This record gives sequence, C-alpha cells and structure tokens, in this order.
Amino acid sequence: MSEMTHSQVEELAGAFALGALDPDEEAAVRAHLAECGEAHPEMEAALGAGIVMAESLDPVDPSAAVRDRLMATIEGTPQAHRQAVAQPVRQSRRGWLDWLSPRVARPLAIAAMAAVIAVGAWSLGLQSQLNQRDAALRAVASAISGGQAAFRVEGNAGRGYVVDTPGRGAALVVTDLAELPPHRIYELWLLNPAGSPVAVGTLTSTDDAIAVVQLERDLSGFSIFAVTVEAERVAAPSSDPVILGVLGSS
Amino acid sequence: MTDSATLQDDGLLAQRIRSGDRAALGEVYDRHASAAMAVALRIVADREGAEDLVHDTFVAIWQKIDRFDPARGSLRSWIVTIVRNRAIDRLRGTRPSIEIGEADERSLLRSGPNPTWESAMARLGGIQLRAALDELPAEQRQAVELAYFGGRTYREIATITGVPLGTANGRLRLALARLRERLSQTEAAPIGAGDER
Repeated sequence: MSEMTHSQVEELAGAFALGALDPDEEAAVRAHLAECGEAHPEMEAALGAGIVMAESLDPVDPSAAVRDRLMATIEGTPQAHRQAVAQPVRQSRRGWLDWLSPRVARPLAIAAMAAVIAVGAWSLGLQSQLNQRDAALRAVASAISGGQAAFRVEGNAGRGYVVDTPGRGAALVVTDLAELPPHRIYELWLLNPAGSPVAVGTLTSTDDAIAVVQLERDLSGFSIFAVTVEAERVAAPSSDPVILGVLGSS
Repeated sequence: MTDSATLQDDGLLAQRIRSGDRAALGEVYDRHASAAMAVALRIVADREGAEDLVHDTFVAIWQKIDRFDPARGSLRSWIVTIVRNRAIDRLRGTRPSIEIGEADERSLLRSGPNPTWESAMARLGGIQLRAALDELPAEQRQAVELAYFGGRTYREIATITGVPLGTANGRLRLALARLRERLSQTEAAPIGAGDER
C-alpha cells in the first residue's frame, strides 16, 4: 500500500487500535507513525482501548495442568536478553559512537569533545576543576582515541563501556539505565579469574541519558565486570548480574 | 480490576522475570492467566486451543520480557494484547503477524499513553466495563466486538453488516470516542461498587 497521509492515519485510529486493518494498511499506519513528527490526537486517544474489551469479559481459569506445563517449559527456555552475553570489543572512536543510539551518542560526543577541549586548553592545575563526570568522559574519549580497549558491558538494566586508563583508574559509562525498584541500588563488581568479586562502587537511578561512575579500583587482575541490584552496599553479590561484561580479552 | 498496588507489584515482577526468576513468572501467571484465558476462549471458542494460547503467551513473555515497557502500559495490558493477537492469528489460520515487541502499538507514539483505558481497567470491574459497552448503540457495539473478538477488519465488517466502508470505520471511531467519554465520566462518578475479579 502507498504511503498514508496524516489525516488518513487519524481516520483509521479506531480500526488500528482494535486490530481491524488489513495487513498492508496496518503496515502503512505503522510506517507513518514511525516517521511523522506531528501529533496524532485521535490515535493517542484510541490506542490501548483493547484492554477495556478484554476486561469486560468474566475471567476464566485455565486448568491447573497449563501452569505446570508452563513452568516445565520455561525450565529449559532461555530468555532472549540473557542469550546475548556481553562481549568485549575493541572499539574505534567511530565504532563507539555508532554503537550508541543517536539520542545518546550526540550528548556523549558533545560532552566528551568539550572535556577533551577543556583539557587541551586548561593547565594541569585547572584539571582538578573538572567534575567527576567530565573526567570520566574525558577518560573514555582519551582511551578510545589512544587506541585503548573499551570493554562493552550490557544486560537488561542498561549497556555501556568500562574503560581503564592507566594512572587515572577505571570508569563505567552506561546508557539507558533501568529504573530501580524502591530502596534498591546498583552495586558494581570486578571479578578476578577465580570468580571472586570485589565491590567497586554503587549507582542509583538517574534521569540522565548517560550515567558515569568512577570505579574504586582499576581493572588490573580482573576479568569480569558486573552490576547487581542490592538493598544496600554489600560485600558479596546477592543476585544475578543485571549488567555484565568480559574484560581484557580484546 | 487491577489496582495501583497490583500495577506496582507487576513492575517488580517484570523486573524479577528479567533477572531470570521463574517463580516471578508463576506469580504473573497466577495474577493474569484468567484474563488471558477469557480473551483466548472468547476468540477461538475452544478450551484446549485457548489453553495452548495462554501457555504459549506466557512462554513468550518469559523469553521476551525485555520488550515490555512499563512506561507504555501495564503488564496485564501487554499480556492481554499478546494473547489476543495470537488468538486472532490462530482464528485466521495465519502465522504470527505481529512481533511481540510491536504488541503494544502505543510504543509507536511519541507521546505517552492515553491514561483513560488503563485508568478504567485499574478503577473499574468487569461489570462496570460491560455496562459501558452495553450503552453503546447496537451497531457500534457489534462493530467493536467483530473487530476485537472476531478479528474482522473494518472492510470485512462493512461487508458483514452491509454498510459502506466509511460507515464501518466510522462506527469503530465513534464507539471508542463514546466509550472513552463514558469511562471518563465513570471515573468521576463511579457506577456502583467494583465487582470481585
């Protein structure tokens, strides 16, 4: 089907919200919504209506065997996001920025560039005036431009890089950080090849597109970086990692 | 009815599922399987087939929980949308036509979701929602039921009901507009007490 106009899409809002379009019409509506920058008041008002149709029905319990079968099925069923184990990557500057979404890449690039320019223009004495975030971003930019490895880390709570800059420690830069449940923190870990964890910092939810944390240790002697969700800072992780990355093998 | 505490708990359960907690999926199933089963059974009219759909839907939720965006709607709404789409695909004898990540079309919008529908779900029970549907003109109610539960396109609805295409499409638009208005009023002055779900 050819492209739809804005008004055509709005006229089909009810049918789209109720799943009552032909496949080609539905694809055309989706394509329009994905590209159009204008508001769609009728579409916004209509979408989500299906839940009312569903909730108008009397609930019906499936037989107990369905639950048993479900639990047996998922026992051997991997989750999509956990199959994508974090891989260390050696990134060029272009690759690093390409990997990030445009929403995040632009502010990161601007911030990193500003920090690098600041370092070039200011005296060493003034460097101390850079805040921790700028310093970490500068470390990331410097490490990448200097050909050092930036280790990719990712998981269902977010994704980013860990960069180790000799003499200046290591930093985690993470994007799209998932919101924490109440009264929980992210705790950062480095694990040695034997698997022993060392706590290297904490992080709470942030509204920023990019969160930057200076790690309390450099990466020497460690092979894994991980983030877990904890009630408070603890000496050993109490849950599975929500962000994970392999260090040092790029 | 799904109250705000349930919605909040669902958010935590979704997070636990993300971390690989199978028991959390069991809890989500216990909360929402009966709603999913009601939709599946209404559409395919076959208990065994409906149970297969519910099973497959929750397996998909386990596998693709990372696609769930709580900012776009409740977990219950996501589950019901997935099972409805799968049931319609089965009814039509087609392969799954919509990726699970696209199941909530509200993700296509640049704005946040319209709160009317989720709010109605959270505040009202099935009796009140049915009452709001019953207040629709018969031809509008028929159109929305043919669409949502029958999997009929508005073109098919036009043929079935013997009206022009524009009329069939218009009935769907008007029905949702009336329903939204009615539910908004109901939030301000609830109809009776909520029923137990």
